[in-house]
Amino acid sequence: MSHNRIGIRFACAAALFAGSIALAAQQNGDWPMYSGNYQSERFSPLTQVTSANVARLRPVWVYQPPGAGSLETTPLVVNGVMYATAGPTSVQAIDIKSGRTLWEWTRPIAASVLNLGFPRVNRGVAYADGLVYVGTLDGYLVALDARGGIERWMVHVGENPLGHSVTAAPLVVDNKVIVGVSGGEAGIRGFLDAYDTRTGKQIWRFWTIPSPGEPGSDSWPGDSWVHGGGATWLTGSYDPDLKLLYWGTGNPGPDWNGDSRVGDNLYTSSIVAIDIETGKAKWHFQHTPHDVHDWDSNQIPVLVDAEINGRLRKLVVQANRNAFFYVLDRQTGEYLLGAPYAKQTWAKGLDEKGRPILIPGMAPSEKGTLVYPSLQGSTNWASPSYSPQTGFLYVPVREMGSIYFKTPAEYRAGTYYTGGSEKRLDEESWGAVRAIDVKTGKKAWDFELPSPSWAGVLSTAGGLVFSGSNEGNFYALDAKSGKPLWQFQTGGAIRSGPMSFLFEGKQYVAVAGGHAIFVFALES
Amino acid sequence: MRCALIAFVVLSSTGSALAQTPPARRAMPATQTIAAGKTLFDSQCAWCHGSGGDGGTGPNLHGRLRHATDYKSIVDIITSGIPGTEMPSFRSPLTAMNIGQIASYVQSLGRARATAATGNAQHGADIYRASGCAGCHTVAGAGGIVGPELSGIGATRGAPYLRDAIVKPAAAHPPGYLVVHAVSKDGTDIRGIRINEDVFWIQLRDARGNVHVLQKSEQSTIERQLDASLMPSYATRISGTDLDDLVAYLTSLRGAQ
Repeated sequence: MSHNRIGIRFACAAALFAGSIALAAQQNGDWPMYSGNYQSERFSPLTQVTSANVARLRPVWVYQPPGAGSLETTPLVVNGVMYATAGPTSVQAIDIKSGRTLWEWTRPIAASVLNLGFPRVNRGVAYADGLVYVGTLDGYLVALDARGGIERWMVHVGENPLGHSVTAAPLVVDNKVIVGVSGGEAGIRGFLDAYDTRTGKQIWRFWTIPSPGEPGSDSWPGDSWVHGGGATWLTGSYDPDLKLLYWGTGNPGPDWNGDSRVGDNLYTSSIVAIDIETGKAKWHFQHTPHDVHDWDSNQIPVLVDAEINGRLRKLVVQANRNAFFYVLDRQTGEYLLGAPYAKQTWAKGLDEKGRPILIPGMAPSEKGTLVYPSLQGSTNWASPSYSPQTGFLYVPVREMGSIYFKTPAEYRAGTYYTGGSEKRLDEESWGAVRAIDVKTGKKAWDFELPSPSWAGVLSTAGGLVFSGSNEGNFYALDAKSGKPLWQFQTGGAIRSGPMSFLFEGKQYVAVAGGHAIFVFALES
Repeated sequence: MRCALIAFVVLSSTGSALAQTPPARRAMPATQTIAAGKTLFDSQCAWCHGSGGDGGTGPNLHGRLRHATDYKSIVDIITSGIPGTEMPSFRSPLTAMNIGQIASYVQSLGRARATAATGNAQHGADIYRASGCAGCHTVAGAGGIVGPELSGIGATRGAPYLRDAIVKPAAAHPPGYLVVHAVSKDGTDIRGIRINEDVFWIQLRDARGNVHVLQKSEQSTIERQLDASLMPSYATRISGTDLDDLVAYLTSLRGAQ
């Protein structure tokens, strides 16, 4: 692949996203936001590391945040400084040349702070104009001065005693910090917030569960909407031309016992397109109506421009936790394509509107119901990557079934509101990095893993795909064929997304594995 | 579905620090509470603890309990699990009331007299020695390393499971003892317990205890044998009262007290 050809492709991509400061920053070699760019491609335009030379990739330094548990962060690199996070809530600014700390900010998190349904982790920061934005396990959003980690403002996003937390990286769009909340296992009513980047003042709140009288409210009987879930616990995407945010929403509450919430339960387990100025939904698409398997739709929605049926369209694509791959028109929400990409036993297929055609008897039960995929889904929060060079979406796949149980559910503030459980079929399970052609939904190749993946994927303009494994491998694959080209054993499970950046003219690749961040470059 | 294939999910492996007070008891008559607890137990607990709490991959719950002495401690264990064991937290799937009902049922099992041992443990120890079990298994510091250590096996596995493990070991292999058959491109054929595996390497221990470190790209076949065990079946060699006695011996192994 010649550099010129890549350059032309990037000119095209840039034209589609004209005015995107973030893309310009990424072209400078920074990694300015959680998913790399607003499209959430997790694609690096850098070309120094290629399939021809990746075998010479070597660790440059390893960074171990003090007191850290398992890391789930994607570091950012802006203006030559790396910004990483560790659980429960700390931020590290790291000098790239030496791998040493420039500053660290830690929010004290008491043992009594709740994390109902997820580990005590943080997945990353957002950056804009000299401020670093981070969510906290106890439900706040904090702006830090990027020069020294000094707090500039802090706002209260959600009530942790009711189950709210912020573990996802925020997203900055113009003068707004967009931040979602966790808490879908605690019976919260989900929302997505926008705050002023300079002051922290709330600009709007979008409730993912409509209140009585609002559109969609008839999908909730009685007062079931009050604890209806719909958490917004991962980072979304943004189209600067359409001025629309694309955000996934989580499961309805209670998770596995749907008796009290007969109906579709809008807008849970959906993608919602939200007007960046007003905070109002322009459209929604619900992947799993009346979800009783906790499949969510928080998986990163990826914005792609591609020809579908002979017409260039603005698309949003998603490999959903429910085992189906979806292609929607991102202007209108129109369903264009859907197909299973992993083993599933709950739906015969999708109808012409993309609604699942259910197989009877697949709901959780007292005696247990075997269903594929498992509660953690065919993919989960680990990021996919889209390469405009290959047209493939690279998905971290989990091939696993579970026996789902239904139990009584009772709402008590600050406790689990789930109504069930699962027994996983662990030994039969496996994983893969799976390349899916976004125009057809068909699998191009698989790179198999010993166990269901929790590692995000990075693709690069050097024709490479990077990802990890629960067994500690960090590896590079050929983006076209999936053939392995390089690997490094990090010694700890990789539960994070890799990224790549340029520093002093040299390309680096970084990933968090176990309790450390590993930074690689070609040996000289 | 084999229990050995199943692990219970814990939503949050790090656990929450949620303070959950034991529920008030006797909201309904004791017999109804216990009956409700049995229904929930059969759905949520019997997978490991066996129908009626007779034990399986999890301990027998009749008689004195190893980790719980009263109702509150049973509630605490169901709520939070037991760190370092296979007992998970049920804080997520069960309400406080449900946990209380199950605890009442488990407590009623504990009050019931433990099922009388049907075998002679002392004679079972002789069977253990005579059958060569120590070639692969260790008890109290003595024995082999290929199979699971058995010093405390009676505290963690029930008699029905142990009986199955002797006569049908393939149907009862414990977690961590997956059999893998690998054939290299040059024809070397190795069958062993998977000690470890990552994307590119696999380490196997064969029945003789030898460790083989294999690069996956050098193998023509790597087959995970989910329904296999390196342990041969002793169904034809140990039966009748000898089998009862051996199970009684294994059940008596409680580890350091």
